[in-house]
Amino acid sequence: MEEQKTVVEQAKEELEKRFSRTLAVAASNLCVHCGLCVDQCHYFVATRDPNISPVAKAEQVRRVVKGEHDWLRRIFPWWTGAKELTEEDLDKWVEAAFRNCSMCQRCVVNCPLGVDTPLVLATARGVLTAVGKAPEILVQLADAAIAREENLEFFKDFYLEQIKELEAELQKKVGDPEARIPVGVEGARFLYVPLSGAHTIMPAAEIFYHAGESWTLSMFEAANYGIFLNDPVRSKRITERIIREAERLKVQEIIITECGHAYAVSRWEAPKWFKDQPWNFRVRSILEVMDEYIQTGRIQVDKSRNPFSVTYHDSCNLGRNSGLFDEPRRILAACVEDFREMTPNRERNYCCGGGGGLVAIPEWQDIRLEAGKPKADQIRATGAEAVVASCDNCRHQLGEINEHYGLNVRVMGMAELVANAIVPNNGKK
Amino acid sequence: MEDRFLEFVKFDLQIIALSVFALLYALKVYQLMKLPWPREMGPRRGSEELGVVYSFAWLFFPWSMSSTTQHLGRWVEFALYHLGAGAAILGTFTIPFWPAIMTRPVSLTMAALVIGGFIVGAIKLARRIIAPELRVVSTPDDYFSLAAVEVFFFFTAMALITEARGWMIAYFLITAAFLFYVPFSKISHYVYWFFARVFFGLRYGRRGIIAGKRA
Repeated sequence: MEEQKTVVEQAKEELEKRFSRTLAVAASNLCVHCGLCVDQCHYFVATRDPNISPVAKAEQVRRVVKGEHDWLRRIFPWWTGAKELTEEDLDKWVEAAFRNCSMCQRCVVNCPLGVDTPLVLATARGVLTAVGKAPEILVQLADAAIAREENLEFFKDFYLEQIKELEAELQKKVGDPEARIPVGVEGARFLYVPLSGAHTIMPAAEIFYHAGESWTLSMFEAANYGIFLNDPVRSKRITERIIREAERLKVQEIIITECGHAYAVSRWEAPKWFKDQPWNFRVRSILEVMDEYIQTGRIQVDKSRNPFSVTYHDSCNLGRNSGLFDEPRRILAACVEDFREMTPNRERNYCCGGGGGLVAIPEWQDIRLEAGKPKADQIRATGAEAVVASCDNCRHQLGEINEHYGLNVRVMGMAELVANAIVPNNGKK
Repeated sequence: MEDRFLEFVKFDLQIIALSVFALLYALKVYQLMKLPWPREMGPRRGSEELGVVYSFAWLFFPWSMSSTTQHLGRWVEFALYHLGAGAAILGTFTIPFWPAIMTRPVSLTMAALVIGGFIVGAIKLARRIIAPELRVVSTPDDYFSLAAVEVFFFFTAMALITEARGWMIAYFLITAAFLFYVPFSKISHYVYWFFARVFFGLRYGRRGIIAGKRA
């Protein structure tokens, strides 16, 4: 009978499975420990703890990887700090990769060498997930998303009932008893994928109504906690639900709600997982759709309807990971009277501290709020009355930061802001 | 006898050391190329090609990154250090193989660059010893590599300034020793740097983050 593998053996096996060209470079002698990444990390800026700088976090993993793959490290491990993996190391990796890194990628864009520290730490996340050391809540959330598909019939009626209630609200809001929140409509142009909660459905429904859009609401949520675990099996499975739904309904586009990681997963990661089964629809963010509507005049907006000062938080997944920088700014230019940029912004923006699945882990709330200080300082410096974020996790974190640091700002989504600014046109009838 | 020894360290030893050096690097690159490469597949939002160009160009524009904007002095140090290294390496080729161009002004200019690198190296070494955020990640290889480059810079500068046989022999011996050590140490970062900048450019270019943003 084959002996059961130890946790360390399983971890080493998983690490080996994930050893790619990009990881080999990121975990090589490429990093010269120059320290230029140190104060680019919001964790370090907030805490000044040298043990949670990007290089220090990555080094924990890198030393193990190099121990396996680097010539000098195999012969003289003490010379380069290389070490054999232990279970204690894995426990430290949980802190480094899950607790003390939000995968914001600010360190990569600021590294003169291009060391992909988030890749190193994401690999650690994948290894930890494979050996059962990932935060339980993230695993549960990913599994719950998969279970929803498996038990769709059970959820369906309740979901449709809730949508009917929202539809009644929409009809009241736009003053049109014919206004619809369509679900499961074959041949619609868009499949809109929301998150849990009416706040990701109602403003979008209102915007689609005024644009006279052909759309249908997904039965599933966009959130994909599998990606925070760096678990390709779970992530793929969660994404697959939406892809199959889009294929079944023969839509032309999947539109992802205001959710950074869900967009990045569907737009950039999923094509790698489904390279043998390419799909023939486009994936866009609701941000791109709203921008298109405004630029083409498909919806009319009046900026005087948002008379307060507004600043914009670039979600790391939408901005630094997906390149959506101009779209939100064009929308804001059209929809608010007083827009104030944060400094720094775009690809240099600081993470709010809520990324990487951290907002879902209550036991790490303290460090999450502490790491949110650079963002709080950025918001405060603008003097804005409202902060807009196009990512639900960011909004959650910004809401908590707002309270924690007494910022006294209103935290809003972009669709909510656009819906406020819309000049009603009776659904383009 | 001494002339023959100088000739040996200048030519034969350098060629042996360079061959070993090249072989080890070729092996490193071969090992790397054997690994799977999970490439980006999502429809392009920007240009991969421009992304790669930007990625390499960033190094020369300190305003392109927050880290170098915030720490401009560090970028200047980086430039001086690598100019010094470049001059020192160049000397190992020009002195034996192209002596005609090694006029006095050329030698002294190269020596000045190497001395600049030496001074920056001393600052880097001091910083690594003092700064807690660097100390916490530093290994013996980090300290030794910096110190070894300092020794290399010192002997290069002395050889270039004095052009004396003794300093020349020391310079070429140190160079050969260096060539044997570099592929094993963190000094070999520049081999991976090329790949890292390409990967960075492809990813961030394709996604429209750093170059060729879609209109």
